[in-house]
Amino acid sequence: MSTVYLNGKLVEHPHEVHHHVSPVPQYVAVLGALLVLTGVTFLVSFADLGAASLTVAMFVAVIKASLVVGYFMHLKYDDRFHLFIFLGTIIFVGLFFGFTLFDLASRDAINDEQRTFTRIEEDTNKGQPMKIGIDNDLARRAAYDAKHPAEAPEGH
Amino acid sequence: MSTAHTDAHGGEHNPHLAHHFDTMEQQAGAAKLGMWLFLATEILMFSGLFLAYFVIRMFYPEMVLGAHEHLNKFAGGLNTVVLLVSSWTMAMAVRSAQVGKPNNQADIAKIKAFLAMTFACGGIFMVVKYFEYSAKFAHGMLPGKFYTAHLHGYDIPGLPHIFFGIYFVMTGLHGVHVLVGMALMVWIYLRAVRGDFSRQNYAGVENLGLYWHIVDLVWIFLFPLLYLVK
Amino acid sequence: MSQQPAHHDNNHGEEPNFYRAKRGIMSWLFTVDHKRLGVMYLASVLLFFLVAGILAIFLRTELLTPAADYVSASTYNQLFTLHGAIMVFLFIIPATPGALGNIFLPLMLGAKDVAFPRLNLLSFWVYSVAAVMLLCTLLLGGLDTGWTFYTPYSTSTGTAAGLAALGVFVAGFSSILTGLNFVVTVHRMRAPGQTWDRLPLFVWAIYATAVIQILATPVLAITVLLVFIERFLGIGIFDPAMGGDPVLFQHFFWFYSHPAVYIMILPGFGIISEMITVHSRKHIFGYKAIALSSVAIAVISFVVWGHHLFVSGQSEVAGIVFSFLTFAVAVPTAIKVFSWVATLYGGSIVYNTPMWYALMFLWTFTIGGLTGVYLAVIAVDVHLHDTYFVVAHFHYVMMGGLVVAFIGGLFHWWPKITGRFYNEALGKLSALLVFIGFNVTFGTQFFLGHQGMPRRYFAYLPEYEAMHRISTYGSWILAAGLFCALFGLLAAFSKNAKKAGNNPWNAMSLEWQTQSPPIEHNFHETPHVTGSPYDFPEIDKSGGVHH
Repeated sequence: MSTVYLNGKLVEHPHEVHHHVSPVPQYVAVLGALLVLTGVTFLVSFADLGAASLTVAMFVAVIKASLVVGYFMHLKYDDRFHLFIFLGTIIFVGLFFGFTLFDLASRDAINDEQRTFTRIEEDTNKGQPMKIGIDNDLARRAAYDAKHPAEAPEGH
Repeated sequence: MSTAHTDAHGGEHNPHLAHHFDTMEQQAGAAKLGMWLFLATEILMFSGLFLAYFVIRMFYPEMVLGAHEHLNKFAGGLNTVVLLVSSWTMAMAVRSAQVGKPNNQADIAKIKAFLAMTFACGGIFMVVKYFEYSAKFAHGMLPGKFYTAHLHGYDIPGLPHIFFGIYFVMTGLHGVHVLVGMALMVWIYLRAVRGDFSRQNYAGVENLGLYWHIVDLVWIFLFPLLYLVK
Repeated sequence: MSQQPAHHDNNHGEEPNFYRAKRGIMSWLFTVDHKRLGVMYLASVLLFFLVAGILAIFLRTELLTPAADYVSASTYNQLFTLHGAIMVFLFIIPATPGALGNIFLPLMLGAKDVAFPRLNLLSFWVYSVAAVMLLCTLLLGGLDTGWTFYTPYSTSTGTAAGLAALGVFVAGFSSILTGLNFVVTVHRMRAPGQTWDRLPLFVWAIYATAVIQILATPVLAITVLLVFIERFLGIGIFDPAMGGDPVLFQHFFWFYSHPAVYIMILPGFGIISEMITVHSRKHIFGYKAIALSSVAIAVISFVVWGHHLFVSGQSEVAGIVFSFLTFAVAVPTAIKVFSWVATLYGGSIVYNTPMWYALMFLWTFTIGGLTGVYLAVIAVDVHLHDTYFVVAHFHYVMMGGLVVAFIGGLFHWWPKITGRFYNEALGKLSALLVFIGFNVTFGTQFFLGHQGMPRRYFAYLPEYEAMHRISTYGSWILAAGLFCALFGLLAAFSKNAKKAGNNPWNAMSLEWQTQSPPIEHNFHETPHVTGSPYDFPEIDKSGGVHH
C-alpha cells in the first residue's frame, strides 16, 4: 500500500474530497433573507432619504453580498485563505477608490485655481447654448457660482 | 520519502485525477483557489467601473439623479429577484453534486435539473434586459455621442450622455458575464449528463457556482446604484 | 543534507528529455508541458526584444544630430510608441514569468507541472493573439499615443489606438492567467517538505509578481476597455470636452502601471538572488528579509501611483501623500541590495558570466532605484518631469535592472535549458560591452534631462548635440553587446559545446537535481525537501561534507 504526502503531511484518503455541505433549509433561509432585503431597498428608494439614501442602499447591499459570499459561496466554511483573498481584494479596491476620490475631492484644497478639468471646461463655455459635453444646467451653475462668488461675474 | 500515486491504487484511483496532482483534495483545492483568484480579478475589473460611476456622481449629482429616474425600477427589481433565485438554484446544483453518489442517475438528474433552472433564470434576466435596452434605444437614451433623448422630448438636465454611457458599459459588461456564465453552464450540464460529477469530483460545478455568484454579487451593487439611489 | 537528488527508477531507465519526449510541430503548438511553453515564451519574447530594440536603434540614430534627419515627426512618434508598447507588453512583462518562470517554477517546487497546464497553454496563445493585434496596428495606421494611451489624445487620434487598446486588454488577460496559475502552483504543488522558508528566492519573487499581476492587471483591462469604448461611443468619462476628467484616466492607468513596474523588476530580483548566492558559494544573507521584502514591495507598489501625476493636474495634497509613500518603496528595495552585497561579502565568488551580469545589475539597478527617489520629490520632479532624466531613470531600472538580470539568468540556467554550456568568453565580452554601452547610452541622458532636454522630441536644440551623439554611440555598443550575448548563448548548440551535466554549479535548489535538460515529467521520483536551497555543502557549519 503506497502512501501519499502533501506539503509534508500524510494524506489518509488521497482520492476523495472532503468539504462542508450546507443543509437545504439554510439555503432556503438565505434566499428568503436576500429577497426580503431586496424588497427593503426597493421600498426605501421611494422614501425621500436624500443623502442618506446612498448609505442605506449600500448598507443593505453589503449585507446581501455577505450572505451570498458567506453561504452560497461557502466562504464561511471554506479555507481561510480564500477569505483572505476576498478581503484582500476588497482592501485593494478600497485603495483604488480611496486615493482617486481623495485626489478629486482635494483638487482646490491648496490652490483655488486648480480644479477638475470638467469645471475648467465648464467655465470657458459659460453662457453659451447647450452642446454636448458642456454642463449648462443653470440651477447647478447658480449653486456653483454661489459657492465661488469671487469668480462668478468676470468668469475665469 | 514520498511516492507519487501509481496505478497500483487500482480500485480507489479516481479517473478524474490529473497526472500532475497527487490527491483529489489537492486537485479540487487548486481549482478552487484558482477560481477565487479569478474572482478577485473580476471584482477589481468591475471596481474600475464602479469608481467611474462614483466619480460621475461626484461631478454631476443632479444629472445622475435626473437621468436615473428614467431607468425602469421594476424591470431592475425583477431582474434582481431572478438573479437571486438563480443563485439559490446554482447553490443547490453544487449541493446536489456534493452529496451525489457516483453514477447514480437520480443524483445526476438533480444536478441537471438545478443547472437547467439556473440557466432559465439567466435567460429570463437577459430577456428582461433586452426589453429594457430596447426601451432606452427607442427613447434615444444612448451612451455618449449617440445620446439623442432631448430630440425625443426628454429634458434631462446636465450631461446625461455620461450617465447613459456608464449605465450601458456597466450593465453591458455584466450582461456579457451572464452570457458567459450561461455558456459555461451548458458545458457543465453536458459534463453532468456524462456523469462526471458526484461527491468524489464536483470542482467543475462548484467553480461554475462561484463564478455565477460573483455575477450576482456585482448585480447586487449595480441595482441600487443605478436604479434606486437618490 | 539538503535535497535528495533524484535517481533513476529501475523501471524507466534513461528517459528522453522534454525536447525529445514527443515529436512534430503539433506537439509544440498544443503542448501543456510547462518547459516547452517556457521555451516558446523565450523564443517569442526574444523576438520582440529584437524588434523593439531595432526600433530603439532607429530612434537613437535619428537623435544623432539636432535636425530632423531620417524620419518625420509622426513616424518618430510611432517609433517610440511601438518601442515602448512592445518592450513593456510583449517583452518585459511576460519575459521572466513567461519564459524562466514557466520553465523553472515547477522544477524548483519539485512539481510535475504547473497547477493548470491547459490554462498555461491558453495563456501563451492569448499572448500570441495580443502580439499579433499590437503588430497589426502597424498596418492599420500605426500608433502614436505613447505606450501610456493618455486621454484625450488616445480617444481622438486617427491612428489605430482602438486596436492597440484591445491588444493590451488581451495581453493583460494572458498576464492574469499566468499569475493566477503561478500563485496556485506555489500554494498547492510544492514537494513534500518544501515549506515556505525553504522556497528558492526566485519562487518568492515570481510569487510576489504573480500577486501584482492578479491584483493590478484587471484595472488595466477595464481602463483600456474604457479607452476603446470612449473612442467608439464617446461616453465622456475621460474626455474633458465631453464632461470627463483626463486625470481620472491617469489614475486608472497608473493604478495598474505603477505596480506593473514591479511586475517587470521583481522577477529580476529573484534571478539576482539565485545567481549571487550560487556563484559566491555562500548562503544568501537575510533570506527572510529578501523574501518578505518582495511581498512588501508588491503591496507598497499599489499606493504610490500618484507620483506619475505630479504635474498632470492632480491635487497638491494627493501629490504630497503620494510623494511620501513613494519614498517607502526604497526601504524594501534597499534591504534587497544590501542583502545581496552582504551575501557577496566573504563568499568564494566565481567570476563567470552570470556573476558578471549580477554585479552589473547591482551597479545599474542601484542607480536606477536611487534616481527614482529623486523623482519622488515633488519639487525635483516638476523640473525633471518628462525629460530625459526620467527616460534614463526607467531605462536604468528596466534595462539595467530587469534585462540585465534576465540575460544573466539565461546564462545561469542555460546549462539546464539546453544541457550544454554557453561560450564563456563571448558571455563575458557581452557583459563588458553591455555594461559600457548601457552606461554610455543612458548615463548621458541623466545629464541631458537635467539640462532640460524633453523626452519624445525628434529634433532638438544644438546645445544638446554632443551628449545626444555620445548616447547614440553608446546605444550601438549596447546593441553589439546584446548580439554577443545572443551568440554566446547560441554557442551551446555548436558541436564543441561542453555537456553541462545535471548540476554544473553545484547548486542545491531542486531544478538542478534532475536531468539536463529535464525529462518530460521533471523528476523520476517526487523529491523530498529537507533543508534550505542555499545550504551549500562546503559552507555547512556542521562541518559535514555532502554527496
